[in-house]
Amino acid sequence: MIKKILDSSAAQWLDDRTHAVQYIRFHLIDYPTPKNLNYMYAFGSIALVVLILQVLSGLFLAMDYKAATLPTGNGFSLAFDSVERIMRDVNYGWLIRYMHAVGATTFFFVIYLHMARGLYYGSYKKPREFLWIMGVMILLIMQATVFFGYLLPWGQMSFWGATVITNIFGAVPVIGDWLLQLVRGGFSVGDPTLGRFFVLHFLTPLLLIVVVLWHVMALHVVHSNNPTGVETSKKNIIPFHPYYTVKDLLGIGVFLIIYSYFVFFNPTGNGLIIEVNNFNPANPMHTPGDISPVWYLTPWYEILRSVPNKLLGIVGMGFAYVCLFLLPWLDRSPVRSARYRPVYRMMLIVFFVAIGTLGYCGHHPVTPELTLVGRIASVFYFAFFFLLPFVHKFEKTKPLPEDV
Amino acid sequence: MKRIVMSFVLFICLSGATGLIQAEETAPLKAVDISLDQATLKQGLGVFTDVCMGCHSLRYMTWKDLMDYKEIGLNRKAVDELRGDAPLNAHMMTGLSEADAKESYGTVPPDLSVMARAREGKGAYIYSLLTGFEHDPKGRIMDGNYNIYFPGHRIAMSDPLGWLDHDAADEKDLKQQARAVASFLTFVGDPHQLERQTIGKWVMIFLIVLTFVFWLLKRAVWSDVEH
Repeated sequence: MIKKILDSSAAQWLDDRTHAVQYIRFHLIDYPTPKNLNYMYAFGSIALVVLILQVLSGLFLAMDYKAATLPTGNGFSLAFDSVERIMRDVNYGWLIRYMHAVGATTFFFVIYLHMARGLYYGSYKKPREFLWIMGVMILLIMQATVFFGYLLPWGQMSFWGATVITNIFGAVPVIGDWLLQLVRGGFSVGDPTLGRFFVLHFLTPLLLIVVVLWHVMALHVVHSNNPTGVETSKKNIIPFHPYYTVKDLLGIGVFLIIYSYFVFFNPTGNGLIIEVNNFNPANPMHTPGDISPVWYLTPWYEILRSVPNKLLGIVGMGFAYVCLFLLPWLDRSPVRSARYRPVYRMMLIVFFVAIGTLGYCGHHPVTPELTLVGRIASVFYFAFFFLLPFVHKFEKTKPLPEDV
Repeated sequence: MKRIVMSFVLFICLSGATGLIQAEETAPLKAVDISLDQATLKQGLGVFTDVCMGCHSLRYMTWKDLMDYKEIGLNRKAVDELRGDAPLNAHMMTGLSEADAKESYGTVPPDLSVMARAREGKGAYIYSLLTGFEHDPKGRIMDGNYNIYFPGHRIAMSDPLGWLDHDAADEKDLKQQARAVASFLTFVGDPHQLERQTIGKWVMIFLIVLTFVFWLLKRAVWSDVEH
């Protein structure tokens, strides 16, 4: 049927004027793919589905959301009230809001798995360096987006989370105070902050869509890596459609089952998706005992917290991102896939455990023991990047297969 | 490998340790069987309007909602009796003004619309709080304001159900009242939760069938590829 549509005279008419059919053929149908891609390669398509879900649910939420901190009595605000109104009075508003909230957590879950796959099979190496860099850019834009979005319900964690994170700007030498006020639009997080965060929560996803499209287009220039990491010969190449369209559909189906389970049966994720304290309206006079970001930001937050000096902590956190950007040049081994690199594989597992430990520590109140564990995990995080340039000198790689 | 094992061991030890630290502040919550059946919700609504509403409001619930949400399903006559001369679409607000509340209790009683979602333990917290009034062993906090589940143990709300020094014969009744209120507020905190779960079951069935079809499709399409 798809063939019929693309061959139709209407499609041809359009193609003569815009190359529409050629684009579709190039990106979605004829795109040559190695035949040995496993299900870890479905997370790219799944992430695209989540992005679409987020944009659509977000649009409908924005129709009923009110970005104003105007007090409405007993500590409540117009923003908080409008979210509860969506949850209660707007037709299926609860569904849209839970889809959006669960979607945010899911997006990070999917993207982290997508990145882990890239790390494991060496998909960041030549000629895919820029693909990886765009991926890290996507991660940063996503983290900014989710940070802006989390302020909108104007609950306790919204307010205090935004207060803690914007404080980062205050640590900049000399212009810190001025910058902090500029970012917040006042001396503390307030109505001007909410207004600009609402607008930014619209702007950054637009940016995200652009970079994601660029990411996909760039992938189709350098083509997909595969679990063996070796170049694929002609005879082992298959077209994207129908092989990977149906394989990705299966992945998307399994993903939607898990996603819907949370949307319908556990939408707050026991405090991991919507924090319990965020059902309390924002109160600038009452600081919660424990302020921690949502789980997908905590590894970086913990690196920040591990350094005793505030400014150096911020430098450390920034450096953690810089390391990710530099990864394609830090790793000098000619072999891509961790399947054939025993030392790199071990390092990678330790690196993943370190990130998990950082995330755990960042999500819990500070204790001397947790701080120590967080610091050790931070050291392991950076050790991974510092060791990478030297690994190829002593690593005995396993023999590579001739073909996939 | 040793490093991984070490981090896992530390991870587990620390998760245990953080649990202990939290327990020192307030007593661990009592378990309660929250049930959202109509009888319990109606009983909880009754206790709420008779007792709680003396001070607390439900700013996100209207009197009309008591008819519209089928889970509570009050009839018009029952709603008219409860609301008195308040309009049908008015929110369920207490008659106690903020100024009077400050004078009598030193604080404004919190709105309870989302209270069952805003505390760790959810419904169990409300149940425990209502049945958590005791005599202060140190004798510093007045009877009726000492609650073992409240952070700091001093609570402005004075024993609404008369739990302190209750007769043994009343215990079952009081516990049931507390359970009904906890259930009612659990419902009010997320009034579409039962509808959500009903729809959710059909969504899950649909998606599982759909995914099965995708699996068949994938198998059929890939049958001519060696892999």
